[in-house]
Amino acid sequence: MDFNYSPAETEFRLSLRAWLADALPKGWGETVFLPSDEHEQAMFRLDWERKLYAGGWAGINWPKEYGGRGATLIERGIFAEEMARARAPEPINVIGHNLTGTTILAHGTEAQKKRFLPKILSTEEVWCQGFSEPNAGSDLASVRTRAELKGDKFIVNGQKIWTSFGQYSQWCFALVRTNPNVPKHKGLSFLLIDMKSPGITLRPLRQISGEYEFNETFFDNVEVPAENIVGDIDGGWKIAMTTLTYERGPEDALGRQIRFKQELDQLLRTLVRHQRGAGHAIDEPAVRQKLAKSIAEIEIVRLNALRSFSKLESGGDRGADASMTKLYWSHAAQNMYEVAMDALGPIAPLSGSDPQAAALGKFQMSWFQSKAFTIYSGSSEIQRNIIGERVLGLPR
Amino acid sequence: MNFAFDEEQVSLGDTVARLLADHPALVGPDLDQAAPTVWQALAELGLFMLLVPEEQGGAGLAPIDLTLAVEALGGSLAPAGVIATLLATDLIVQHGTPAQRDTLLPQIAGGDLRFAVALYEADRDFDPATLGAAVDGGVLNASKIAVADAAAAQMLLVIARGRDGMGCYLVPADVAGVTITPHEDIDPTAGLCAVRFDGVKLDESALLGAPGLAIARLIDTAASLHAALLTGIASRMLDTAIEYAKTREQFGQPIGSFQALKHRCADMAVSLDSARSATYYAVWAASENASDRARAASMAKAYAGDVARQICNEAIQLHGGMGFTWDLALHRFLRRAKVIEHAFGSTAWHNERLLQETLAMLAAEDEAGRAAA
Repeated sequence: MDFNYSPAETEFRLSLRAWLADALPKGWGETVFLPSDEHEQAMFRLDWERKLYAGGWAGINWPKEYGGRGATLIERGIFAEEMARARAPEPINVIGHNLTGTTILAHGTEAQKKRFLPKILSTEEVWCQGFSEPNAGSDLASVRTRAELKGDKFIVNGQKIWTSFGQYSQWCFALVRTNPNVPKHKGLSFLLIDMKSPGITLRPLRQISGEYEFNETFFDNVEVPAENIVGDIDGGWKIAMTTLTYERGPEDALGRQIRFKQELDQLLRTLVRHQRGAGHAIDEPAVRQKLAKSIAEIEIVRLNALRSFSKLESGGDRGADASMTKLYWSHAAQNMYEVAMDALGPIAPLSGSDPQAAALGKFQMSWFQSKAFTIYSGSSEIQRNIIGERVLGLPR
Repeated sequence: MNFAFDEEQVSLGDTVARLLADHPALVGPDLDQAAPTVWQALAELGLFMLLVPEEQGGAGLAPIDLTLAVEALGGSLAPAGVIATLLATDLIVQHGTPAQRDTLLPQIAGGDLRFAVALYEADRDFDPATLGAAVDGGVLNASKIAVADAAAAQMLLVIARGRDGMGCYLVPADVAGVTITPHEDIDPTAGLCAVRFDGVKLDESALLGAPGLAIARLIDTAASLHAALLTGIASRMLDTAIEYAKTREQFGQPIGSFQALKHRCADMAVSLDSARSATYYAVWAASENASDRARAASMAKAYAGDVARQICNEAIQLHGGMGFTWDLALHRFLRRAKVIEHAFGSTAWHNERLLQETLAMLAAEDEAGRAAA
């Protein structure tokens, strides 16, 4: 156990820090912020991802041969810390990086790796995820979107839902039914689908935050080249489980922790300055206890991720541990935004551009958004089943 | 950067756990069953020489090397004097004069010097700065409570205000003016005592380290290692609960198959794992005297305190009526966890300290940012 960094790791940190100071707009996080319009913000974030790529900071621990930096998970941890410190924008192509890329690295053919991985890193191709359906949520294996192999093409028909960033995506990976006559887990395949294919329609879905991040996606006789399958035909469940392990894993958690830490720090700074009575909002004793608990929980999201990295670096398996990671960060963050609302006191309901709203309404927006954390990537109830059965060995 | 224990650290934890398992009275239901040979067995194993530097006949290890061993002490309800002695050892190693080190450390290494820490007072809070104990003209007057294992100790580490601030004083338990009276309390096996110091004469060599500095290290190291005792207790209680959930049947099936219990077990497992992350980091920060030592210590103690409380309560609930029986002995862990929760700062006190440390860190960052601009 040693949290000291090697000279090479420190060099990595310092060169990243210097690059960030140059790359972010002047006054970033102090006087200059993300655009408030949802679409403009998405464009800004995509632009930021291209900048990271151009600077050599995309795919930190991906192999060099596919455009990555070939660094260690420890350096990936440093990357996250520095992004938090610089208050850097969150990427949009997280699904491409954390899910498509990792799944193709684990199960894709050499041709698929060469074709898809570099364009994820360069943000030429943004990805979305086609797993959930209106009738297949927690019971994911019951997906009904049908893919029939005809000649050298799959013909795909059906509907996916909660397709985040579908409107910005060039590609989608989807779990589809290739065989309806076998037990439900055994008739699924994992396809890579070009979103420009004729027959795909997106319908935006509005979220409780008022935003339109996710969509319904309809497939009407969509043709997908047969070589765009990952793994075997009818062998898609295993591939999807790999995807989910990464979706719930420590890299994902650490990426999110960057934002939670930034917003918690911003909350504390706001409370220190915000006058209330003869003192400041930070002085409220009941709130101080809750703030401290959130400080601990958000810090522990990071420590848990680093601990998982060390397990993985020494050859440990990815597995049900990922469910523990996801269950923890989602509730920690949700609690934190509730505490933020508590701490803001009388101005808590004021949002958006109201002149009395704190931090341009960021805490209110994040509070709404946080309600999804314990639902997507597998609801907390599903994670608890997995932990109970596969980590603790409790009977089904 | 490596957030994993090495083989020797893991093996030390296993060895201590196995040794303590040979003393089943430690975790038996009754509160008057002593395990008098445990101290000697731990001494023969060499536990007390581990933190002692090589020049005084020890192994020269750091607290982080003992983390898993301390978890084992917690989970086995080892006598409180063991952890007090390890804390005193660390303090003498870090802050002792050459004379104090040469006199005391060899005795400690051999297991011949057992410590108790006299910190709290009935009319003060958890903040050491508020204590009333005072050393004036070389004379100590103090009335301490909840001094764990004091009756078995040869040496008392007393926190009192001296001429130059709050200091740690080494006071032999058998000198004139020291009166040790066992409390009646929720965990008699922790050996909590009231200790009075009436006009106890101290010589120059009694003061350990610089006032202010030594007490700060004691609080941080104690909070971190007490967090490890708590994760040890929580781990043992969770294992017991899961075992029971797998074997106890109701409605024709093991109760662990019901989501109402399975999901709570999952939550407990995640909480425990998270408490361990905070605790292991805090013990490392104390070992290295890292700049965030105090913040890490308070985070670990507060968090592990909450988690141990949750898991002890849930484990009893999951056992149903059996959980409330004396004979199943779950109450032993409940009792000890509550005593440790209130030792070296409560959850609320550490939470407040964590917030203050964090705000100070942010203010320093902002200051550095302004200086750079």
